[in-house]
Amino acid sequence: MPFAQSLLGSLTRDLPFLYGPLFLIVAATLMIWPGDVFVGRNNKRVWSYVASLALVAAGVIAMLTEPGAGFSNMFRVDGLTKGFQFLCILAGLITIVLSQPQLNALREQTVEYYALILFSISGMMLLVGATDLVSVYFSLELMALCVYILVAYLRTQERSIEAGLKYFLLGAFSSGILLYGISLLFAAAGGTTTNLAELNEKLATVSSNGNLLVFAGVLMVLVGFAFKVAGVPFHMWSPDAYEGAPTPITAFMSMAPKAAALGAFVRVFGTGFHGIATDWVLPLSFIAGASMVLGNVAALRQQSMKRLLAYSSIAHVGYMLLGVLSSDVQAGAQAIWLYMLTYLVMQSGAFAVIIYLQGKGEGERIDDFRGLAKRQPVLAFAMMVFLLSLAGIPPLLGFFSKFYLFKLAIEQGFVTLTVLALLTSAVAAYYYLNVVASMYFKEPVGEIERKPLSTAFTFVLTVSCALILIGTFFGPKLLDWTAKIVLG
Amino acid sequence: MEQLLIKIGQNLFLVFGLMALGGAATMVLAKNAVHSVIGFLFAMLSMAGCYLTIGAEFMGVAQLLVYAGGIVVLFLFVVMLVELSKSREKGLFQRQTPFALVLVVAGAVAFVGVFWRTIFGSSAAEALTLSPNLMAQGEKLGNAQMLSRGLFAEYLLPFEILSVILLVALVGAVVLAKTERV
Repeated sequence: MPFAQSLLGSLTRDLPFLYGPLFLIVAATLMIWPGDVFVGRNNKRVWSYVASLALVAAGVIAMLTEPGAGFSNMFRVDGLTKGFQFLCILAGLITIVLSQPQLNALREQTVEYYALILFSISGMMLLVGATDLVSVYFSLELMALCVYILVAYLRTQERSIEAGLKYFLLGAFSSGILLYGISLLFAAAGGTTTNLAELNEKLATVSSNGNLLVFAGVLMVLVGFAFKVAGVPFHMWSPDAYEGAPTPITAFMSMAPKAAALGAFVRVFGTGFHGIATDWVLPLSFIAGASMVLGNVAALRQQSMKRLLAYSSIAHVGYMLLGVLSSDVQAGAQAIWLYMLTYLVMQSGAFAVIIYLQGKGEGERIDDFRGLAKRQPVLAFAMMVFLLSLAGIPPLLGFFSKFYLFKLAIEQGFVTLTVLALLTSAVAAYYYLNVVASMYFKEPVGEIERKPLSTAFTFVLTVSCALILIGTFFGPKLLDWTAKIVLG
Repeated sequence: MEQLLIKIGQNLFLVFGLMALGGAATMVLAKNAVHSVIGFLFAMLSMAGCYLTIGAEFMGVAQLLVYAGGIVVLFLFVVMLVELSKSREKGLFQRQTPFALVLVVAGAVAFVGVFWRTIFGSSAAEALTLSPNLMAQGEKLGNAQMLSRGLFAEYLLPFEILSVILLVALVGAVVLAKTERV
């Protein structure tokens, strides 16, 4: 049985690359069954600790994995994989902490919630290391399917179901487009390979007949990815899904799947379609520019805080796409990683404040922030730090990540886009500062009782706030460290 | 007449393909849900025919068993269990129909253009073909064996991810459908 033996041999050789995500999958499955049998109806909260531990363990395992490639070159562990895996796990941990108040209040603590988060993160960990269009597609689906379910998790609330259904239908549609694009590229490359590195060579030497086919294929893959990261004009699902989803899941959606999809975006377009860059640079520049403009302009008019953050996250994706455009893949990935890391810190802090206020029946609308500085000075200060950092106001951390991204874009010759990014950043500062102004300069409406923050919550708030403030002093050195982590 | 039959025999793939398109169109356009399911069944059967004509017997049989057998029955269950008459009256999406039509026509023209150029383009001598060694391998090993090697050796990782996706779908269905909080 030479075939079975070679199969076993390659499996034992390749399996260590996957220990991290595999650990998560096994842990999540065991949590659902038989784990849940032993936990009483009122003790479901224990799963949040188990899930956090599983995430930390998977993170440690993933970081200790030796670099290399396996599974007939479908999965690859390198600096980029590890860097983005780290981001996804961090986002997962933050989400679990942020979920506690709402789940406890609604009595919706279940094992499935945490299992779905773990499954989703395992999908992301597979996605960022995928080096074959087929494995990219399947990991993307695993990640997305879990998020569709989580968005509709509060199934008794109509808007949660509506958001889930909308997200699911549009997501399925975009997956179809992505898959069709992949099949066109497969055909154009001679029908032999979907491996990114091989595809890159084959696509660059396609006969003049196939040019148009390659163009159509790349364009459709681009559309599929733009849907997943919510770039304009494929962003329609995002504000509705963000608004309807349970707030912790909104935070999750704006951090983890975005980080993973952008990581895969850089890898697919940087290594797979590098040779045919002329085909996709112009459409992608359009998507990036449109995302910056529309995201920021539409955010101006929002009354709901969640929608505001949804539109602003569209704009942030627009900035990050500048890194995908870079012809220097490593530098692009590095800039995106740094941006995503700081974005994650700021976004989780802002969502922590919203969720805390939401527990008291406010925080959804911008008006709820009126006079917060008088009622809760510390919280208002933290929120101000997060918002100013999101806006990219100079000495704060958000400024440095923006600075490196824009610097890279200028070095790569995308001057017009960078000017556009700078101008729209100024627009962004207006609506972020608007919230800050209403916290500090407007009178509070009515007196609302103070509720103590839980320990884990305070931890997230303090750490992210401190990171932003301390990070300010190390800003100029950040990129060197990132280089060591992501490229190392 | 005889020549026409021979011609059809030579282009069976095209015939089955057109039949599949017809079935799919019936499925989308039919007002009655049961007719829709029958259209779907027809499309799936024709797809199985397509697989058979290109020499992928295993895929053809699997298509018959899984789609024409399992999934159609599942759809029929859904159609019979769920009240569908309400959604018919609302006339959803009617405002968007003209835009949708324009987009569909534009998309169809674009794709026909792309394929036309690819297949009959100026340098059509170097036509796009599946790699010859892949075809030869298929003839040597047989269909089911080729498929199994693909699934369990080359495409092992996506195959295993797919199994996790199915598990998640199962969990998700339970999460969304349960009424009592457990």
